[in-house]
Amino acid sequence: MVRALLSSDWYRVAPLKPRLRGHLEVHRQQYRGDTWFVLQDLHSGKYHRITPAANYIIALMNGRRTMHQIWEAACLRFDDDPPTQSETIKLMAQLHRSDLIASDLPPDMEEIGRRHAKQERQTMMARIKNPMALRLPLLDPDRFLGATVGLVRPLFTPVGFVLWLALVLSGVVLAVLNWDVLTQGFTDQVLAAENLLLIALAYPFVKAVHELGHGYATKVWGGEVHEIGLMFLVFIPVPYVDASASSAFDSKWRRAVVGGAGIMVETALATIALIVWLNAEPGLVRAFAFNVMLIGGVSTLLFNGNPLLRFDGYFVFSDLIEIPNLGQRSNAYVFYLIRTYLFRVKDVPDGVTAKGERKWLFTYAIAAFVYRVFISFAIALFVASKFFFIGILLALWALFNTFVQPLLKGIKYMLTSPELRQKRGKAMGLVAGALAGVAALLFSLPAPYATVAHGVVWLDQDAILRARTDGFVADVAADGTAPVMQGAPVVTLDDPILENRITILESQLREAQLRLRAILLVDQVQAQLLRDRVLLLEDQLRGLEQRRTDLVVQASADGTVVVPSAENLNGMLIRQGEVLGYVIGNDDMRLRVAIPQGLAEIVRNRTQDVQIMFQDAIGTSVPGRLVVEVPQSQDTIPSLALSTEAGGDIVLNPSGATELSTLQSVFQFEVATRDPMPVTRVGARALVKFDHGREPIGFRIYRSLRQLFLRQFRV
Amino acid sequence: MSDFTAYPPTRRIRLPRIVNYAEAPDREETEVDRAWAWVQGAFVAQGARWRALQLRPILWAVRWHQKRYAAMSDEDLRAAVRDLRILLRQRLRDQDLPVMVAGQAFALIREASGRVLGKRHYDVQILGAWAMLRGQIAEMRTGEGKTLCATLAVATVALSGRQVHVMTVNDYLAARDAEETGPLYDFLGLTRATVLEGQSGPVRQAAYLQDIVYGTNKEMAFDYLRDRAILRRAPGNLQRKVDKLVPGGGPTEPLRMRGLPFAIIDEADSVLIDEARTPLIISGAGALQGGMPDGVFIAGMDAAKGMVEGRHFTLPRGVKRVEILDAGYDYLEDLTIDRDDSFAIPVIRDHAVQQALNALYLFHLGDAYIVKDGKVQIVDENTGRTMPDRTWSDGLHQMIELKEGLEISPTNETLSRMTYQRFFRRYTRIGGMTGTAQDAAWELWTVYKLAVAKIPTNKPDIRTRAPDRVFRTADAKWRAITRRVAKLHANGQPVLIGTRSILASQEASARLTEAGLPHQVLSADQDADEAAIVAQAGLPGQITVATNMAGRGTDIKLGPGVAENGGLVVILTERHDSRRVDRQLEGRCGRQGEPGRNEAYLSLEDDLMLGPDAARARRLAYAVSLVLGTRAIGRFIRDRQRRTETLHAQSRRDLMKQDRQLGDIMAFSGQLE
Repeated sequence: MVRALLSSDWYRVAPLKPRLRGHLEVHRQQYRGDTWFVLQDLHSGKYHRITPAANYIIALMNGRRTMHQIWEAACLRFDDDPPTQSETIKLMAQLHRSDLIASDLPPDMEEIGRRHAKQERQTMMARIKNPMALRLPLLDPDRFLGATVGLVRPLFTPVGFVLWLALVLSGVVLAVLNWDVLTQGFTDQVLAAENLLLIALAYPFVKAVHELGHGYATKVWGGEVHEIGLMFLVFIPVPYVDASASSAFDSKWRRAVVGGAGIMVETALATIALIVWLNAEPGLVRAFAFNVMLIGGVSTLLFNGNPLLRFDGYFVFSDLIEIPNLGQRSNAYVFYLIRTYLFRVKDVPDGVTAKGERKWLFTYAIAAFVYRVFISFAIALFVASKFFFIGILLALWALFNTFVQPLLKGIKYMLTSPELRQKRGKAMGLVAGALAGVAALLFSLPAPYATVAHGVVWLDQDAILRARTDGFVADVAADGTAPVMQGAPVVTLDDPILENRITILESQLREAQLRLRAILLVDQVQAQLLRDRVLLLEDQLRGLEQRRTDLVVQASADGTVVVPSAENLNGMLIRQGEVLGYVIGNDDMRLRVAIPQGLAEIVRNRTQDVQIMFQDAIGTSVPGRLVVEVPQSQDTIPSLALSTEAGGDIVLNPSGATELSTLQSVFQFEVATRDPMPVTRVGARALVKFDHGREPIGFRIYRSLRQLFLRQFRV
Repeated sequence: MSDFTAYPPTRRIRLPRIVNYAEAPDREETEVDRAWAWVQGAFVAQGARWRALQLRPILWAVRWHQKRYAAMSDEDLRAAVRDLRILLRQRLRDQDLPVMVAGQAFALIREASGRVLGKRHYDVQILGAWAMLRGQIAEMRTGEGKTLCATLAVATVALSGRQVHVMTVNDYLAARDAEETGPLYDFLGLTRATVLEGQSGPVRQAAYLQDIVYGTNKEMAFDYLRDRAILRRAPGNLQRKVDKLVPGGGPTEPLRMRGLPFAIIDEADSVLIDEARTPLIISGAGALQGGMPDGVFIAGMDAAKGMVEGRHFTLPRGVKRVEILDAGYDYLEDLTIDRDDSFAIPVIRDHAVQQALNALYLFHLGDAYIVKDGKVQIVDENTGRTMPDRTWSDGLHQMIELKEGLEISPTNETLSRMTYQRFFRRYTRIGGMTGTAQDAAWELWTVYKLAVAKIPTNKPDIRTRAPDRVFRTADAKWRAITRRVAKLHANGQPVLIGTRSILASQEASARLTEAGLPHQVLSADQDADEAAIVAQAGLPGQITVATNMAGRGTDIKLGPGVAENGGLVVILTERHDSRRVDRQLEGRCGRQGEPGRNEAYLSLEDDLMLGPDAARARRLAYAVSLVLGTRAIGRFIRDRQRRTETLHAQSRRDLMKQDRQLGDIMAFSGQLE
């Protein structure tokens, strides 16, 4: 790469005699074995990392030397790799933009005004672009922290660290030991209404302590903390503290501790809360401790401690691997790779400043992108399910930030970038080719496609043998394999009291009839009374006789009778309505399969083949066929066996109308095996695989995305 | 301004606001503004005829006043000038004059011109002047009398108390126009001066004090650049005024100009667009002593000579660039492994070798430069003239001196730099005229906010135009041209052969000599006689070979009997980089409704079809020509031309963009020039 040593614009710079402004401090730091200097702008709290050569140039600016003299001196000093004039100009521009140099020229008021307006606009744009993280500075805590830092100073020592480590380790041990208790009814507890209030109370407390951790850590090692305020992360106020003074610390460990102080404080709090929770009596204190533990533990693991998001973990991580500005630079590096290797653009600076950075930059860019996409959509969908409109807006915004904006930038680059000028056609072709390739893979390469659902072997109501009256089982006539005709007795019940009552009633009836005959011609009034009694008794007797016939449970249809617990039945009291067994008709036995709404259509229309795998014979699949879709209410399942509680995959709605109510809409399908099923399978569960042939993945992604949005937003 | 002040209650003389060095402030444009200007430009570019219609009322205004002035004696007319001056100053509002007042001024100037110069302005010239006065570009056919047209606008502006810069494309035209129109300005009591190349500082300073200043755009831009280098240390009008109050304050060196008030630009499209591709640079010898020692040049040249094309570097065709390959860098590194002077520093070494390679392979003697009196002189690629006081920067000049075995001159360093775009945008107002503005209308609007008005011709255009003749080889083309010229010559018709470069002119000349045809060649060496030769080009049987730049602005008057014989025939031997330049050449014939004919002879070996970018088009065109004949391939050449136009427009946009970015980056060093 040819770097032009001279710049045609140097004439403007050469005679200047700049000097540094007073509010600039320079710190020497090591990054991956190289020495760098960090400029600290005490006014704006901004930091710039510069090379030793640049530092040398800055150091020579005293208002008496001209820039040309300074540059020549720098060239002599760094003769292996002299700073070029353009680099020097860039450095000066950077310093000027931050108002770090004063020159011998009279200041250009208009330019200062313009620059100010531009900065304002940029800040504004940054806010608009990221409405999920608004910042609201509140106060300057420096004096407070300075006055109280003595109290916490012992904690920021090796001994303090060991103590902290011991505490957190014990917390981990305790958590593992009490894992069952901890996780029991976790979700119930967390999302219960009264607990939400407690979380709302505990959250600011934990976060405030967290931020104090950052503040003190900075303060302990001599930094200044001038801003504390509120940040609105997804509309939830979170305190923040400006601990950027730590960028000036020489030791990367100290920088990392400042970044990680919040997490350390939170984990310590979580541990203490755990101990309290384990030992306290149930009550408000215990509940509060639980929430502190929850916030300190879970939010740290998922968000704060995660280096893939730009929270504390990210800064700790980038400090520890000694790659400042990791996020931006990794994106720039991936873009560099595309430009260099895909578009063959020459002389693109890769932005890599030390060896070993490449793989970090590359890996980080990709991992962070994937995670960011995931988390922003998860948040958007979550919010959308609660507040529809805000959620849609957030989702659109997330979509815009993660996809549309980079896409627009990419399109703009493709269309207008001067570096593609000679090869724009080729570059367009490459991108189009790559897109076409991906599209071809997604939309034309067929991939096996199937829906798997749980099913249960199922019978109709009239195929179920129920006791029509109470009674003790006297005899089980038919069971198992032998086919029976309709009306054949299956189970005979016995009710000794019933016989007795019939005998009594018969006697009473006879008596009444005789008395009626005797009196008929004598007393009409009396006769009428007795006539009524006879009718009553006859009626009662018919009822009892009906019950007596009901004692014999008959097969309701031709077929095979299954009485599941035939051998235990003899002598058992059976109540009216109890299921005694089933009659399997000459039709095949069928499985009921519950399919979530989203998959119903494809199962209904595109099923080419059905395979069934019974639970007692996992591994061997039986060919089956789709019989019919059961027209039934869409919020119940046929059997509890299909619910999550019994190992199925349908979630029940605990507050539903019946105990079989589901949370999501469910369609029921009947599936039969090709070979008749043995009757013993009644009630058995099976996995049913509906084969839809082969379909390219792209269409499937499209369909499930559509369903996701339909479901989430109920539109 | 509120409504109350729009009509001043008393008729006071409005003195011009005192402005120390008039300049339009740099335009603050955001991305959105620029995008909007792009969209606007598309509409504005379509409205050239409509705008010309809107100019019509000026004709009524002129007619309204002209009788009064026609009846006056010379003395009364002079007195009327004084009254007019007052009126103009009274009615001038923010650079604009009401149409009635402008009409009055035009009527007076037309009357004066008729008496002093013997030429009364045509109606179309009045329309053109009115367009310029309103800050538009007037598109007028060649031969419609643009010089005379300009006098209306120039004099009106000057009479209204504003200084006018009248820009032409070369010194000859500046001097000639100033000379021809001088008596009129004298009559009107306006002072004038001409700024020419080679004039000393004090002379120029005096010239810029006059009401009307004639000069080339280059001279004026350089004078301004020189002033800005001084002025930028005291940015802003207010600051300058304050500085003057302080004893010993004010500019450290005398300024040449009084600012950038009003510019009337002749050939506006070539000045504003074609020349705007390269920035203006003032350089001086070693003011900073930051150059490289001679040893570096010598070592660099030696190293470059040892490098092999294809192995150490490549010359991508069509792009003026040498690309050093990785093997080349390795070679250089090995070469300097045990040196310890500044040539061993990679940045310096690579730079020096790059420039040496450029000198060896990209810049050729006789084409890019000539050697005269032991000195390298750059040849302007636009005009073909040598520029004795120009040097290349960044050590390239020294490398070329080394290559030619000359003494190494001290390095020149940039002292001041500016783009033409920035220069013209700083003018308070610009009016322009040209024969070919329509094609550039969009760019004129987006860059300078100048709209084009298409002024109708005085007499109908009766030129004829032959279909393009296309040949596969340049040789076939030249033979056809020679045959055609011989025939026309025998017929007694004058011919003007338009070429793209001096080399092509020489080729044409050689071919004509071979065929025994007497002819005149206009090239850089003869620039003193250019106008005379061009003026002769209309005589019967005259054959003239000229580049598009040569003899511009001079009318080709037809000799006796030529008009009846079909008029002047202009033969284009090649398409130029832009359609506009072709049209400029074509416009040389058929002035003032005279007959004329345009013919174009093109070949697949023309400059436009060379280079790697064109390779595919060339092969395709060749294949098509074999199948469909050569008539079918003219559009391939037009297509290449369009591409080149786009490329050049792109490079101008790049320059503007760079300039903007430079302004941001260089903010610490004060305002840009």
